Amino acid sequence: MSHQPGILAEGARRVWRYQRVVWWLFAINYVLAAFATAPLSLRMGAVADHSLHSQRLVNGFDLSAFLELAAHPEVSLGSHFTDSFLFALIFFVFALFLTGGILEAYWGDRKLTTREFFQACGGFFWRWVRLLIFMLIVLTPIAILASRINKWSGTLSEDAPQEKLGFWIEVVGLLFVFFLLMAVRLWFDMAQIQVVAEDEGVVRRSLVRAFKLTIGNFGSLFWLYFRIGFLAWLALGVGILIWSQIPGEHARVSFLLFEVILLWWTGTRLWQRAGETVWYQQHIAETAVAPIRPEPVAMPVDSLPATTEQLEQQTFASGTTDGVIREKTPE
Amino acid sequence: MQSPPPVAGVATPKTAIKSKPLSERVVAYQIDARVDTRRKTIDATEVLTYHNLTGQPQDTFPFHLYLNAFQPTSTLMREIRRDRPQFEWQDKYRALAEVKSFEVAGIGDLTSQIRFVSPDDGNPEDRTVFQVKLPRPVAPGESVQFKIAFRDQLGVVFERTGYKRDFIMGAQWFPKVGVWWQGAWNCHQFHSTTEFFADFGTFDVRLTLPQNEVVGASGEETSSTNNPDGTKTVTFHGEDIHDFAWTAEPEFRIFSDTFSGSAGAVRIRLLMQPGHVDLAERHMRIMKETMKRFDEWYGPYPYKQITVVDPPHGGGLRAAGMEYPTLITGGTTWWMPKGWHLLEEVVEHEFGHQYWYGMVASNEFEDAWLDEGINSYTECKVLDDIYGKDRSALDLWGVARGDDAEQRATYLSAADKDPMARFAYQYLNSTSYGGITYGKTATVLLTLEKIIGEDTMRRALHTYFMRYRFTHPTKEDFLKTVEEVSGQNLRRYFDQAVYGTQVMDYEILRAASDRVEWYQKNPPQEKKNETLYRTTVLVHRKGEFVFPVDVLLKFDNGETVREHWDGRDRWVRYTYDKKAKLVSAELDPEHQVGLDKDFFNNSYVKEQQSGARRKLASYWLVFTQALGQLLAWLV
Repeated sequence: MSHQPGILAEGARRVWRYQRVVWWLFAINYVLAAFATAPLSLRMGAVADHSLHSQRLVNGFDLSAFLELAAHPEVSLGSHFTDSFLFALIFFVFALFLTGGILEAYWGDRKLTTREFFQACGGFFWRWVRLLIFMLIVLTPIAILASRINKWSGTLSEDAPQEKLGFWIEVVGLLFVFFLLMAVRLWFDMAQIQVVAEDEGVVRRSLVRAFKLTIGNFGSLFWLYFRIGFLAWLALGVGILIWSQIPGEHARVSFLLFEVILLWWTGTRLWQRAGETVWYQQHIAETAVAPIRPEPVAMPVDSLPATTEQLEQQTFASGTTDGVIREKTPE
Repeated sequence: MQSPPPVAGVATPKTAIKSKPLSERVVAYQIDARVDTRRKTIDATEVLTYHNLTGQPQDTFPFHLYLNAFQPTSTLMREIRRDRPQFEWQDKYRALAEVKSFEVAGIGDLTSQIRFVSPDDGNPEDRTVFQVKLPRPVAPGESVQFKIAFRDQLGVVFERTGYKRDFIMGAQWFPKVGVWWQGAWNCHQFHSTTEFFADFGTFDVRLTLPQNEVVGASGEETSSTNNPDGTKTVTFHGEDIHDFAWTAEPEFRIFSDTFSGSAGAVRIRLLMQPGHVDLAERHMRIMKETMKRFDEWYGPYPYKQITVVDPPHGGGLRAAGMEYPTLITGGTTWWMPKGWHLLEEVVEHEFGHQYWYGMVASNEFEDAWLDEGINSYTECKVLDDIYGKDRSALDLWGVARGDDAEQRATYLSAADKDPMARFAYQYLNSTSYGGITYGKTATVLLTLEKIIGEDTMRRALHTYFMRYRFTHPTKEDFLKTVEEVSGQNLRRYFDQAVYGTQVMDYEILRAASDRVEWYQKNPPQEKKNETLYRTTVLVHRKGEFVFPVDVLLKFDNGETVREHWDGRDRWVRYTYDKKAKLVSAELDPEHQVGLDKDFFNNSYVKEQQSGARRKLASYWLVFTQALGQLLAWLV
């Protein structure tokens, strides 16, 4: 799409402009994770804080000392997975709740008051829940596919004459599954944007419209999503490379590095959402003005309509019939 | 029966018999086998000459037919299913060894006299041991010759035997006579946690198989002749060995090198998978490094060749990590990173078995720790010597682990379940068998170094090897040798470690310094090196295992005090009045007592050392955050 550089930049601008959201999400995740970690930290402290043996974990990483500590009856690391998962689930619900406010802010490209923000959060919450249920339904066959690929590659690793065949099938299969996951995410992202844009109460309709929209514009949408996702993964790769060079005793530096990466991941995910919102707004504008403007001129992003209502007003002003819009965004 | 006539059809092998046998050769096997690599069958004739050195007449002879273990109703499969309920039988595992005829020279056909027996568990459907009663006994000092025609049907590799695609591992493939040991026949069934036991002798084996096969086997190749029908016949001769295994695969890549030891040159022959050619150098290096240390520390390797087989990937790896006389299987994958010494660990371990099983041929059914355990101990010593103590198993991306720690971890997985001195098939389960036989024995011997010293331990093993090579020693032979060489009575230790299930756990229960004049209402301000403190350190024996321990105390004026406690009571209290406060108290400061189950309670530092906790907690925090973000992707 010819406007993509502008969309990326505009998406980034909106994330930056409403960066409070990024910080809040990051902070909530941090605090919840800290709650999840506290009991483990206390238990580890009781065993390790006054033991010389724990020094083996400070300088470098003695795997045996770690495993012994993890298996220690007073620590029992395995049992803390439940705590972490529980708190991650709470964060998930928080994130689901905040999505309405975040998308409303990105759509309107204006600073919402706290009241407006949480009104949007509350207003959209149950629609997100319904969308989530649909998404889980859609993800089920992908999960089955992933499991089949895994089983197939396992069989090939076991039985195929070529030793690496199973491995490469697994790699290619995983890439394909990742691709499917990204496509589904993209579809549901667009459905969410449409719900916000149209204030659609029946999410099924948004899903259908978003599906058509995503399929019809898959290349540009995927390219938009993929590039930002790539930047997130790139940061993780570089981060791990840097981390591998940090001496084992500098745990704080390692911790800070990972926090920066996690912050970046939060930001890039919101960047994808902001970019998709901008894309959607541009798309509506283009399709709306197309009949009267055979050679559309790129609009300055600031002048883009923020809501369907504004869009309709703009369209009427330029002489477009009401029917054009309805045709492109059927109810 | 004297001088049995030569059996027709068995050619006299071309051999290079040594003038002086290294072992008391009880058996002489001549096997002529035709391998159908397409059907995975072996049709063979075995001529076994048994020398009755039992000191009494023998009329009943038991034989192993190990290959019959790979049937769903066998004791092996019953035990596997018992220990792993998720294990499912697959027909591809099915294998069979069928005795077509059984003749005794001078007596005739006794095929009808074959009786399957199950001496260990009475399972009537287990057909891994059969016995034949002769019409008249073989007198002491005389020999008897059995001629056995048998047919094997191999299954897909399972428990180190069988085929995978074109790869064949011919192990436990022929009827093998039991061992007269300690006044009785010792011929156990094939169990899930046992290995093998057989008498020394000579093996002359002719294998006929397609010409494109690359073959490796125990002993040395003496000839190879191409036949007009597209097959070739390869002959092997091995002496002073107690088993014979072979392998064949057209794709094997051969690498050869020589190790020069105190007994002369030894040819190392590697049979590598084509995809692992770049790993051949690692195999060869660890072989030479290992052989050098065994030669220097324990004794000479007297054979002229050792063959190392690299089994194929996937299911073929079920043949990996196994020892046979002068032939071992390694086990690796194409992606094995250099810092992960698993490849080296396997090759080292299996070579070690040439000493602890191959030459010192203890009973693997009844005293499995004597071969697997001692071998795990020497594995630690060799790998530690090569790679360094705390990184001998893993040294990758800043993460390190010593082989001794690995052994200890397996021990701790089953610390109190079984004594070492238990028949292998009577262990609680395979985890306990592995944990005790390998891990505990290695840890017990490493801990023993604290009492008798590392050098003495090495001398003890050298003595044990030199004294008992080419024999079948018992556990007491080993324990007495250690006591003899060390000049110490170690019975108390052995009773607990070898014959008992006691677990060792010592802890610093309390360590604190208090002002001597604690009762004064307005005491003078504390001054370093002037104020008198009473330091109390309480050491507690939490476990039932009694063992002497050292305690190292450090004070803030730099002074150190070392105490030695025999560990017999439940606790001991040390009290000192010093113008210094206690900094730390540490049990086993040299970290020699690997048997102690909890290293974290072995020391107490007054100043809080929160570095480890903070580090691990921060990683856990990051992990939880990442998990949260991952879930939030669904939003």
